[in-house]
Amino acid sequence: MRVVNFAHGEFLMLAMYLAFWAFALLHLDPYVTLVVSLPLFFALGWLSYRAVMRPVIHASHNAQVFTTVGLSIVLQNVALVAFSADARFVRTDYYAVTVRVAGAVSNWAQIVAFAVAVVLTSGLFAFMRWSYTGKVMRATAQDRQASALMGIDTDRVYALTWAVGITCVGAAGVLLAPIYPVYPTAGLQFVLIAYVAVVLGGLGDMLGALIAALAVAAVEVIGSYVVGTAWKEILYLLLFIGILVVRPAGLFGQRGAEALGT
Amino acid sequence: MSAVAPAAVFFAVAGLVPLVVRDAFFLDGLVLILIWGSSAAAWNVAGGYAGQVSLGHSAFFGLGAYAAALLGTRWGLSPWLGLVGGAVVATIVGLVIGYLSNRLRGPYFVLATIAFSQVLLIVGSRWRGFTSGSEGIPVPFRPGFWTLGIADKRVWVWIVLALAVVVYLVELYLDRSRRGYQLAAVREDEDAALSLGVPARWLKVAAICVSAALTAACGALWAQYVGFVDPLYVFSVDLSVRFALAAIIGGLGGALGPFLGAVLITTLETYLRATFGGIGAGFVGIYLIIYGSALILVVRFVPQGLTGWIAARFVRRTA
Repeated sequence: MRVVNFAHGEFLMLAMYLAFWAFALLHLDPYVTLVVSLPLFFALGWLSYRAVMRPVIHASHNAQVFTTVGLSIVLQNVALVAFSADARFVRTDYYAVTVRVAGAVSNWAQIVAFAVAVVLTSGLFAFMRWSYTGKVMRATAQDRQASALMGIDTDRVYALTWAVGITCVGAAGVLLAPIYPVYPTAGLQFVLIAYVAVVLGGLGDMLGALIAALAVAAVEVIGSYVVGTAWKEILYLLLFIGILVVRPAGLFGQRGAEALGT
Repeated sequence: MSAVAPAAVFFAVAGLVPLVVRDAFFLDGLVLILIWGSSAAAWNVAGGYAGQVSLGHSAFFGLGAYAAALLGTRWGLSPWLGLVGGAVVATIVGLVIGYLSNRLRGPYFVLATIAFSQVLLIVGSRWRGFTSGSEGIPVPFRPGFWTLGIADKRVWVWIVLALAVVVYLVELYLDRSRRGYQLAAVREDEDAALSLGVPARWLKVAAICVSAALTAACGALWAQYVGFVDPLYVFSVDLSVRFALAAIIGGLGGALGPFLGAVLITTLETYLRATFGGIGAGFVGIYLIIYGSALILVVRFVPQGLTGWIAARFVRRTA
């Protein structure tokens, strides 16, 4: 879609709150909430596109950047006013249950999150790669005018792409809720890693993003061993800057994509 | 092409008001308006004139604030030296950022600048031995002009007014000079500018450096005025957005625009703080919700900003 959504982390945060409130008020398990969250965040994505993004979708990059930054500020502070700044935690019964796989100890929630993420990512990958709608989305991202000339309703495609993106981040947020505490600015820490992974993999390249995400995770984990957890974020930020400087198109991306400004 | 008369009136009023008004609350607001206005105008040098939209300008602001605070607390030196030192450090960092992200456009550049400011945020809040970490640095009050320990808010108004005028003159230079026109050419179409022999890369880096140095100067004065440096605030993305927001609301690429934007934003903030003061967290939220919505609406409906809108509507074009 060639739009960097700076409010992505805030949608993640909202999903984490959804999981928290469903758990606290309705005693719904986060994994039940996950099923509800998919259509909910799809609708939220569609709405936010119609209300906020659509008017600037043909505007300059800077207009889009500022619109999503504005959206991010609004969502963050709606959460602050509505839910206060306290860190909340979904404390399920199986919170402390650990699983030992080949000597590595993992939290039960981490295993489930990993499994569901694998399923969702594969599903999304297959959808983008083989389904007609997925092909239409990629075509529109590649060349808006040509797609329109081919009879594609690009306006609808943008709305759909945006909504699919928000649905995914909504699912991710619900999955993260049993592992990490949620507070109004929780989105930033996750979304920075996501940007690093996406740019490293090459914008618009899903498989690249997946491989890059694993690489970033490895850097983060190994880095916290070497320099300590306090400084681990600095490693992937420097990695990020390094990639932007050396190869802004990403590991697998098309050379020069960053300068096209399409 | 901004007329100088409105700006002259604006700065003259700001300079004369302290002679009449003694109300500390009002003068405090004026000092903050001038500091945020200068920061936004300094951002505008890179973001508006050069088209290098950065959301990491808090990095420079924070460097200035830290330079002034650290030189004072660690070596007992004057914050004026800190201001100069901060500006020098910020220029060097700006040179590095500008040089490294020279090729990047649009969202890539924005992401790179955010990453840089996040790196400084981590350094500022984790390097306990030097920056005292996330506790921040209280700036001691040492009376005297040389140590910037000034209790009289009127003097503060004049000090930050001087800085504001300097930043404005830099903008005015970009409005009128050959360099400024070249920069505008680079902003509008870099490839075309390059083909005409405009040193696009060099100009972009230079604009970022000047912008960085001016932003650092604002940060140094702010640290001395407020008396406390908190890394989580001075290096935050929120602060970077604040500079950009004031410039966008006021009007990008116009010299007086950022100051008008700062007047609006700071007045709104002060008003809401006075109104919702007791609610604590609620105030910050409501203020920022308005701030975010304003950003979305301005970009959508008045992309040329307040000054652009006024110019298009009320000033007849004299060709």
